[in-house]
Amino acid sequence: MIIAGVDVGSTTSKTVLFEDGKVIGELVIPSGSLPGESAREVLDRCCSESGVKSSDVEGIATTGYGRRLADFGDMVITEIKACALGVGFTDSPVGHIGTIIDVGGQDTKVIGLKENGEVGEFSMNEKCAAGTGRFLEMLARKLGLSYEDFVESALHSETMIQMNSTCAVFAESEVISLLARRVDKADISAAIHNAIAEKICPMIRRVGQEGALCFVGGGARNRALVKALEENLNREIYVPDKPQTMVALGAAIAISGKMK
Amino acid sequence: MQKQFDNLYGITPKSTDNPKAKQKQLFIEQEQARILSELPTRPSNISFFEEILLKRDTAKADKPLVGYFCNMVPAEIIHAMGAVPVRLDGGNNIAAITGEEILSGEICPVAKASFGIFLQEDSLASSCDLLIIPTSCDAKRKMGEVLNDFKPTFMLNLPPEQNHRMYIKQVYAEMKRLVEFLRQNLKVKLSKSALKKAIDLGRAKSSLVRRLQELRSQDPRALSIRDLFLIVQASAFGIVSPERWIEETTKVLDELKNAEPPKKSLRPRLVLTGAPIIWPNFKVLNLLEECGADIVADTVCTGAQSHFDPVVVEEKSMQSLLRALAGRYVFASICPCFISQNTRINRILELYESLSAGGVVNYSLRLCQLFDVENYRIGQVMRERNIPFFNVRTDYSLEDTEQLRVRIEAFLETL
Repeated sequence: MIIAGVDVGSTTSKTVLFEDGKVIGELVIPSGSLPGESAREVLDRCCSESGVKSSDVEGIATTGYGRRLADFGDMVITEIKACALGVGFTDSPVGHIGTIIDVGGQDTKVIGLKENGEVGEFSMNEKCAAGTGRFLEMLARKLGLSYEDFVESALHSETMIQMNSTCAVFAESEVISLLARRVDKADISAAIHNAIAEKICPMIRRVGQEGALCFVGGGARNRALVKALEENLNREIYVPDKPQTMVALGAAIAISGKMK
Repeated sequence: MQKQFDNLYGITPKSTDNPKAKQKQLFIEQEQARILSELPTRPSNISFFEEILLKRDTAKADKPLVGYFCNMVPAEIIHAMGAVPVRLDGGNNIAAITGEEILSGEICPVAKASFGIFLQEDSLASSCDLLIIPTSCDAKRKMGEVLNDFKPTFMLNLPPEQNHRMYIKQVYAEMKRLVEFLRQNLKVKLSKSALKKAIDLGRAKSSLVRRLQELRSQDPRALSIRDLFLIVQASAFGIVSPERWIEETTKVLDELKNAEPPKKSLRPRLVLTGAPIIWPNFKVLNLLEECGADIVADTVCTGAQSHFDPVVVEEKSMQSLLRALAGRYVFASICPCFISQNTRINRILELYESLSAGGVVNYSLRLCQLFDVENYRIGQVMRERNIPFFNVRTDYSLEDTEQLRVRIEAFLETL
């Protein structure tokens, strides 16, 4: 039985196809302006790329901010629960995962897991873009760097400077004035990552840090952000192989549990 | 009586002339009314209560109008002195933005919205003759002096602790000062019989709300928490005689009594606690019910909690009547402005256990330090007892609606 989890995020849409306890296909595409259509597109393309007929998919769960905007699907769950399920399914080489950090395009979540893998405490950035993936993308553009170069340069910075602003708008003007003072772009990049990490760390500490820390979402692919978080928390963070599709995977697991 | 404020540095009251603001304010209220109209079950006379709140600005009182803030001012005294009491705490986001024209943006939305309507001509606040403000938080304590330029204002000094033995004399003296302030400005003397009558009406109102709450806690879908808040708030925030309100609320109660016995419901039953939720800012109530939860009871000072404690009269002397009011409005209050939060925690636990609820939701208003600091202990106490607990921290703006929805749904999924 083939089932699918579709995670309609603000920046990207993801699908995971699942059959008999195994992932048989996954895909990430940029979200368009209509979340409902992005959801349909990512599912159809994932099916065709994995050689699965769309009509063979027997159950679909949708999640993410566009979870109710998709006009198909048999089950809707929040990305918080899906994330916990996805992480619980993944074999962890670091023992029991107690805390998940999920940095997405428009929000950042910290989810505490109970011993049995269920969602315990969780926290989410309230209503501002500081601390999210979108913030990093915007500032990379302001620095005139591709996202990859932005991350790479941050990893090579050796001088610490301080970013004072984590407001998406004020941070832009701060970056411009730093550039005008001819501060090295690598140091600015590092400072931006550090500013974000400082914003996320109190959320992690509030939720608690029982067990191992696992970092998922698009933000987890950013090695400079992982490093900045590790330095701020003074501990190691585990990033699974495919952090970006973790929530879609969790959605698929949710519906496979329902269909048994 | 010595004046609390003199006019040494008096400032000419400011006003705002933004016609858009009033229009948008009304739009927000109508939009909330529209959302409520989608409720599956409503009392047949609910429009009576809704109209009171929607037409507040145009309702003309035939007697002097005395505005007040918070749930600590005995409206009975105002009634007994021939005036109409009206609670002015604001719940409108646009009024809060208007308030920011003068006050800083870094003040809680209740204070800003309450202040904002004083800046508007033809508002309910601007048609008040007098104003009474308890010193229940720093914003209100200091707003009194600003508002005294607009209306003669009386600051009701609250004790820091709810220690009856230590502070009853002081609170009783404050009640007497309040009566004297009203006597000087309204030119009316308070009579024992009028006060007794007003207290009796107040008690009748309280017992109606308690009955409503008792019945709906068995079947919360028969009367939505939002309609209960509407009914309760119409009586304090709108202009309506207690007799008329009692008459209509009795009809609601009769309907509820005759409602069909509840079907078994799988919806999670939650106890709501936290900061005031004031019409039309029902955002969190809308979300909780839309996401599939039932609020079975509340400890909110603008909800059923506001009528939980009846005034207990032991003797009929003026002194004991005023002491009884002090007991009800000050010493039984669950407001976080008092140093111990045990009264509120006891109440939450009692409701949670007696109504076999499935969790507790705490509404925390951004920029209200009092509630914010209390959240820590409440959260810990709930956790220690394995009571599912969820804190919603937000303000009046609607911009975080969808993010709140995710968080509320995720909390409900864990139950």
